[in-house]
Amino acid sequence: MSTDPMAPSRHALARGIFGGVALFLVWELVARGFDLPSYILPAVSEIVARIWTARAALGNAAAYTLGESVAGYLLGGAIGVGLALCVTLVPPLRKVIVPAATAVNSVPVVAFSPLILLWFGMGMTSKIVMVAVAVSFTMFVSALAGFDRVDERSVNLMRSFGASRAAILWKLRLPTALPLVLSGMRLSTVRSLIVAIVTEMLGAYGGLGWVIYQAVVVIDFVQVWAAIFIASLASLAFFGLVSWMERRLVFWR
Amino acid sequence: MKRRSFLSTLGAVASAAMIGAPAMAEDLEKVSLRLKWLPQAQFVGFYMAKAKGYYADEGLDLTINPGGPNLLTENLVATGSDTFGLSGGTDSVFAAIEKGLPITCIGIAHQETPFVFVSKADGPVQELADFQDASITTWFTGANYVLYAMLAANGLDRSTMNIQPQQVSVTPFVDGQVDVVTATRYNEYYTLMTRVGEENLKRFVPEDFGVSFPRDTLIVGNDWAAEHPELVQGFVRASVKGWLDTFADKGAAIDLILKEAPTLDRAHQEFMLDEIEKIMMAGAAATDGLFAIDMDAVGKAHQIMVDYEVLEGPIDLGKAFDSQYVDAIPAAERLPK
Amino acid sequence: MTAVPAPAGSFPAARRFGAVLPLLRGVLALAAVLAAVELIVIALGIRPYVLPRPSAVFEAILRTPAAYRDAIIRTGLETLYGFAAGALFGIGIGIAFSRLRFLRETVFPIFIVSQTIPVIAFGALVVMWFGNTILAKSVIVFYLTFFPVTVNTLLGMRAVDQKQVQLLKSFGASEGEILRKLRFPTALPHIFVALRISSALGLAGAVVGEWFGDTTGLGVLLLQGMYAENMVAIWASVFCSALLGVALFSAIGFAERRIVFWGGSDA
Repeated sequence: MSTDPMAPSRHALARGIFGGVALFLVWELVARGFDLPSYILPAVSEIVARIWTARAALGNAAAYTLGESVAGYLLGGAIGVGLALCVTLVPPLRKVIVPAATAVNSVPVVAFSPLILLWFGMGMTSKIVMVAVAVSFTMFVSALAGFDRVDERSVNLMRSFGASRAAILWKLRLPTALPLVLSGMRLSTVRSLIVAIVTEMLGAYGGLGWVIYQAVVVIDFVQVWAAIFIASLASLAFFGLVSWMERRLVFWR
Repeated sequence: MKRRSFLSTLGAVASAAMIGAPAMAEDLEKVSLRLKWLPQAQFVGFYMAKAKGYYADEGLDLTINPGGPNLLTENLVATGSDTFGLSGGTDSVFAAIEKGLPITCIGIAHQETPFVFVSKADGPVQELADFQDASITTWFTGANYVLYAMLAANGLDRSTMNIQPQQVSVTPFVDGQVDVVTATRYNEYYTLMTRVGEENLKRFVPEDFGVSFPRDTLIVGNDWAAEHPELVQGFVRASVKGWLDTFADKGAAIDLILKEAPTLDRAHQEFMLDEIEKIMMAGAAATDGLFAIDMDAVGKAHQIMVDYEVLEGPIDLGKAFDSQYVDAIPAAERLPK
Repeated sequence: MTAVPAPAGSFPAARRFGAVLPLLRGVLALAAVLAAVELIVIALGIRPYVLPRPSAVFEAILRTPAAYRDAIIRTGLETLYGFAAGALFGIGIGIAFSRLRFLRETVFPIFIVSQTIPVIAFGALVVMWFGNTILAKSVIVFYLTFFPVTVNTLLGMRAVDQKQVQLLKSFGASEGEILRKLRFPTALPHIFVALRISSALGLAGAVVGEWFGDTTGLGVLLLQGMYAENMVAIWASVFCSALLGVALFSAIGFAERRIVFWGGSDA
C-alpha cells in the first residue's frame, strides 16, 4: 500500500465524479421514490440543506475533531517513528519492542477507549491519546520497514569511511525510509479521524462525534447524516493534504 | 436420482419437524422487546416473564434484544425492527413524537426520577442554595434539564453556575475536583457508595425539590398495535406478572440475570434490584400498580422540556401516552400480594 | 516470528519443538511483564480503579470462565466470517479493478470515501438492515477489512515484471493462465500484508458491532465494565481481545509462511 496503484487515465477524474454523482442520484431517487422517513434514510438534498443551515455548528465541531485528530496524529507519528529509530540505533531493543508493539496493536483500539476515557477524562486529551495509540503502530511498522530497506552494502561502505551510526541514519537511512514513512502517514489520516469521532461518541465536550451522539438522543437523523458527510469531507481533505505533501517531499528524489 | 432422494429426505425432515413441533410453536407470534441497555437487574422482570413462559401463555414468542450506546429504542420500534421497546423515558418519547415517529408509550416503569444529585456530606454543598458556588457535573442528555428545573423552582439562577457535562467516571467527584455529581440511584450511586461510603454522601432528590422525571417507558409501534391490540395487552399482562414474581423472589431474579450476563457483580445487581423496586413502585404505582401512566407527572416533565425549548412546542400527550392496556388490568393484579 | 528452518522432515520432534519455542518464549515474557506490573502496583500502592493488579484480573476471568470463553468464541466467529468475506471480496474486486479500468476509476473513489465513514454512527441502520444477528457484526467486519485487501491486491497485480508477462505470452499463455501462474503469485505477499493489517481492524469492527445490542461478545463485556466503572472487568476484556488478536495475527503469519514460501513480506 505504498504508491498510487497506477497512473490515472485522462478520464479518471471525470469517472470518479460520475461514480459519485450516480451514487447520490440513486440515493436521492430511492429516498424520494419510496418516501422513506428520515429515520430510515434521508434524501441527499435534505442532508445538504441541513449542512448549509447548520454550517456554523458543524464547522465548529469539525474544527474541534480535526484539532484532536491532527494533534494525536502528530504525536502518534512521532512516537512511531521515534520507536523505529530507537530500534534501528540500538539493535538489541528490537527483540523487545517489536513483539510488544505487535501484541499491543492486535488489541482493537476501541478496547482501550474505556480505560483512556477514565484516565484522561472527557476533554480533548483522551481523544488525542486514542488517536496517537491508533496511529503510532502503523507509523512504527512503516518507518521500520523503511529503515530496514537500506542496502547493507551502502551502510558498510559508509561505516568503513568512519561514519557514525547517527550519520548513517541521517544521510542514508532517513532519506531511504522517507517514502514509506510518508505513505504510512497518508494511511493514518483517515483512521485518526474515525478514532477521534468514535471516542467522542463515548464521551466528549464537543466535536463531530458529540454532535452525532446528541442528534441521536433528540432523534434528529438528518443532523446525524450531515455530521457524517462533514466527517467524510474532513477525512478526505486531511488525506488530500498529506498526499500532496508526500508528493512535494518525495519528488526531489 | 441422487438429487431426488435428497429432496425427498428434505421433505421428510421438514414434515417431521412440523409434526413434532406443534405443541410449543402453535401460532405463537414472533415479537421482540428492545431494551435501553445491556442485560442487568434493571430489566430482570422481562427475563423472568419469559423464563416462566408468561409471554408464551399470551401467544407471544418473545426475543429480548439488548440496547447499546447510540442505539435508540424508539427508532428501532418505529421502523418495525423491534415490536416493543423499553425506551429512555418520557423525554425520549416526547422527542420521538415531535419528530413524527409512529410509536406510543403504553406504560411507564420508573415512576420517579431514577437519578439524584450527590455531594459530599462534609463538603461545601449542604443545601441546594450551595450549588451557586459549586462545580457541578451532569449528563447533558436530559438530566441537565431536571437540574435546571430544580434550580429554577427554588429561585436559583443557573446562568451564573458552573455546570459541566459529566464523564463516564465518577472519579473526579471522588477525588474532590467536582462538588456535585449526577448518579443513577441503581448504578453510579452504588459506585459512589463503594468508593466514598454512603455515610459520606449527601443526596439531592429531584422529587424533594418539586421536580419529577419518569423514565424507562414501554413503547410499541402504532401500526402493529392497531393490528394486534390483544397481543399488546398480553405483552403488558405478562410483563407485569414477571415483575411481580421478580419482587416476590429477588434471589431467583438475580440468579436469572447472572445467567444472562455472568460477569456482572452480584452485590451490585442485588442493590440495583432493590432500588429498581423502589423506583417502580413509587408514585402512582403505589396505588395503581406497576407501569401506571401518571399523566400529571408526564405533564410536568413535558412542561420542563417545553420551557427549556428542547421541544419546539407542546406535543399531543393524549396521543403519545395510551394507558388503555395498563388500565385493562385491575390494580390488584398489578400490585404485590 | 522466528521460523526455525530445520531440515524438513528429518527430526519431527525437533521441528515441533522449534515451533513451540517462540510460543514458550512469548508466554514467559508475558508472565514476566505481568509479574512486574503486579509488583509495581503493590509497591506504589496504585489504586485499583487506576490500574488493578493483574492477579485480580485473572481472578475475575477464572470466576466466570465460561462467560469469557463464550465471548471470545462469539467475537472470534464474527471476525472470522466478516474477515473471510472481506478478504475474498477484496481479492476478487482487486483483480477486477486491475483488469477493468472503467470499473476502477468509477468505483474506487467511492470505496475510498466509504472508508472515511465511522460505522459506529450507524448502529440503528445496521440493526434495521441486518437485525441482531451475527451477520450484522460480520458485515461491519467485512466493511472494515475489504478495503486494505482491495488496495494491496491491485498493487500486487501491478507489481508484475512486464518482461515475464511478455515471455509467457510468447509461449502462448492465455490471460487467465498468466493471472493464475504469474500475477496472483506475485500479488500474494502484498495481499498478506493487507490481511495482517485487516485482522486488527476487523476485530475492532466486531467489538464495536457488539455495541449495537448484543448479549455475548468481548464488546459487550467491555461496555458493561465501562458503565459500571469496573476496571477489573475492563482489563479482563482487553486481555481476552489481545489474546484473540494475537491468535488471528499469528494464524495469518503461519498461513503466509506456508503459502508464500517464495518471497518475504517486503511491501
